[in-house]
Amino acid sequence: MQEFLANPAVQGGVAPLAIALVLSLGLRPLKLEGLSLVAAFIGSVYLVSGLDFMPLTSTRKLVVLAIAAPVVGLLVDFAFKPTRIGAAFIAIAAAAGALWAFWPVLSHKPGNMPWLLGGSAVLALAFLAGFALLRLAEDSVRAGAAALALGLGAGICSVLSASVLYGTYGIAVAAGAGGYLLPQMILGRKSQGGASFALTFAITGGLIAAGAMTLAQLPWYCVLVLALVPIGAILPAPRNAPVWLQAVLVSIYSFIIAGAACVLAWPSSQQP
Amino acid sequence: MLKASIVGLAALALPLAAAADVENYVIDPTHTVPYFETDHLGFATMRGRFDRASGKFSIDHAAKTGSLEIVVDTSTVSTGDTERGSRPRTRDEHLRSADFFNTAEFPQMTFKSSAVKFAGDNPDTVQGSLTLLGVTKPLTLKIIRWKCGPDIRTQGKRYQCGGNATGSFKRSDFGMKYGLPTAIGDEVSLWMSFYGFRQ
Repeated sequence: MQEFLANPAVQGGVAPLAIALVLSLGLRPLKLEGLSLVAAFIGSVYLVSGLDFMPLTSTRKLVVLAIAAPVVGLLVDFAFKPTRIGAAFIAIAAAAGALWAFWPVLSHKPGNMPWLLGGSAVLALAFLAGFALLRLAEDSVRAGAAALALGLGAGICSVLSASVLYGTYGIAVAAGAGGYLLPQMILGRKSQGGASFALTFAITGGLIAAGAMTLAQLPWYCVLVLALVPIGAILPAPRNAPVWLQAVLVSIYSFIIAGAACVLAWPSSQQP
Repeated sequence: MLKASIVGLAALALPLAAAADVENYVIDPTHTVPYFETDHLGFATMRGRFDRASGKFSIDHAAKTGSLEIVVDTSTVSTGDTERGSRPRTRDEHLRSADFFNTAEFPQMTFKSSAVKFAGDNPDTVQGSLTLLGVTKPLTLKIIRWKCGPDIRTQGKRYQCGGNATGSFKRSDFGMKYGLPTAIGDEVSLWMSFYGFRQ
């Protein structure tokens, strides 16, 4: 059993997919299925590196922010009506979260690298959080597709950047999104969705990319391209088409942008 | 009165005399090389090293005490795999990432002694603490070779001590859990050469 759970494919794929599948079905009556993603991610983190928080490293701060994101999302879903000002405030908070997690490391980089890398992280997180909240929170299929592509893109880019740990985390986000999307595709009915899911995938996916840039070797411009992945999920798809077809179509759009980030990450990796 | 003054002066001079027995050394960074080895995939033992280390040690032969402080630049980790070839990253680049030594966030690994035990006239074990990835745990280094004398490279003008030390620790104790439990071993063995120049 221990060997099974130690397998990276289980840690980043099978386990988060199973957790998200079970929870997205189980929490559906409570309209809380958006929490399945954070549960899938935390399950993967537990298997990969354990849930230790001291010392509070950048990677552990990422996990803290990933846990905080759906809490904020739940508040938005149940206590506040999403507004542009509210989204702007959350976008700023997400950017500040990125700085909290990575600035202590970035500030020691030479020359203008702290500003370039820090600026990329801030822009990416602010855009991801704001865009996800305003444009994706109300459509669970589009949000799921964006999460799938962002997680997979960030995961592959992280592996190309020499961090299998961050790669596993990214793929776990994608697997969790898969577990959230699959019941909708099979049942033919969209989920409640909401900010709890949208903020989780946007902030977690963005931080994984920013972490691979800060702690491994992902180029800064790949982080910015990955931040554009959710745009693919709002491209037109036939409204009357079955849910599964809508999911496939918007996933493909999002994958194209995520693929571009991976292509950009690959050539740079050839330069020692 | 005079006798009391002499006794008082002697008492004051005692710590100075004791301090005079302590020899202080600065680590020679070019000949102080920490090596490590661990299991890989259950098939073979892989070795690596850190190319840059600094620090200092002191030794008091009369009192048979001493101290040691070593700072290792973790970004200099090397397993000899520096060519990417068709791969996106080398093993050394992977070792520097957050999966292992996380050198961007933790550029240094340090060892500070708390007690030095002697066997005869030479130091035998150094008890202390290793700080890696922000976590500090006890570590004992065994001195397996030790010699002091004039440095022939300076025609004897410089006095040095050198030797080898070994130790081991579990990397999971420091939060380095990537590849556990089957891909990459938890137990890490250390072997280091060290030199220090007397100040």
